[in-house]
Amino acid sequence: MNTQPPQQIDKVKRWFLDAKPDLVDLDLDLDLIENRILDSLAFVNFIIFLESLTGREFQPSEIPASKFRTLRSIRDGLLGGA
Amino acid sequence: MTDQRRDEALTLALDRLTRISIDQAQSPYDRFDWPAELSEDEWWMSEDLLSVHATKLAEGLDEPQRKRLGKWESIHFYSLNVHGIRELLGAVVHRIHIAGFEASSEFFHRFIAEENEHMWFFAQFCQRYGSKIYPDRSMKLGSPSEDAEIDSFIIFARILIFEELVDHFNIRMGADPALPPIVRQLNRAHHEDEGRHIAGGREIVKHLYKRLAKRLDSAALQELDLYLRRYIVASVESLYNPTVYRDAGITDPYGFRAEVLADPARRAYHQKFLGRIVQFLSKNDIISNPKFLQ
Repeated sequence: MNTQPPQQIDKVKRWFLDAKPDLVDLDLDLDLIENRILDSLAFVNFIIFLESLTGREFQPSEIPASKFRTLRSIRDGLLGGA
Repeated sequence: MTDQRRDEALTLALDRLTRISIDQAQSPYDRFDWPAELSEDEWWMSEDLLSVHATKLAEGLDEPQRKRLGKWESIHFYSLNVHGIRELLGAVVHRIHIAGFEASSEFFHRFIAEENEHMWFFAQFCQRYGSKIYPDRSMKLGSPSEDAEIDSFIIFARILIFEELVDHFNIRMGADPALPPIVRQLNRAHHEDEGRHIAGGREIVKHLYKRLAKRLDSAALQELDLYLRRYIVASVESLYNPTVYRDAGITDPYGFRAEVLADPARRAYHQKFLGRIVQFLSKNDIISNPKFLQ
């Protein structure tokens, strides 16, 4: 499943849309936490998904929550840029 | 906030459990005979508790591979305990000797002492025999509610769910003759204390929910119902860890996790692990659909 960052963010977006079928699209700057698209209960599965996507292991205790706030911050802070 | 001591059933139950805890207190620090090492040729976890048990993928693993998986799943299980206990200790310390928890404070003192001991012996096991504690993969993102009473109810319901899940494993492993004595001893010791914590936790959860049911509308109660069902699913899914699969020598640990989790044979085991707490929550009208794990 290891893909390049530009395609990876599309896959991340698809992951959220699949998890929330009532959503049609997600803006890059939409606050995922405030809008309850990503919460504590979904977090472990999301991290595991990100790991399978990137082939890298993430340690949540070493990552500020702000990096998970929007698709843009996930792309720039966790996937390694646009 | 209503004084908790007006709830006579709660007060009597917590007083009784506190007295038993004091009478049966044992120090864990010199209670166990820790062997220098555990052999990888032995089962470290009951085979029917492995996350792959009864799945198609398990058929592709021979006994040494399943034993290796059992070793790392046991280290992971105790690691989950360490992280779960740290979270619950913080929540209980935050509520001891405050309004609304008057009848619980003595019970909380015993609970905190015992949970601290459990965290110690589980961490010992991980470090002695696995040379590591698996890191906590969770992250607190937002709060399910800004309402202090709802927040307390959620915290104690989460503690209870976590303890009931763990207790299922403790009961099984505490009595499994296939496991090394130290594994049986730790699981038995944990179960002895958890029986009281679960009994007290059930009374606290019932008490807190009764208060909420009087003042919340049905939409808010439905939200709690959904939250707890999601929490139960997340708890059982936390048992399936790709890092553990990798440590056990499984190639493509992420694909393995997805396949094992999706195997229909696992549903009956999830039901078995959590059937008791699901029944409790359903019987007390806290969750609406007791069959959601099937």
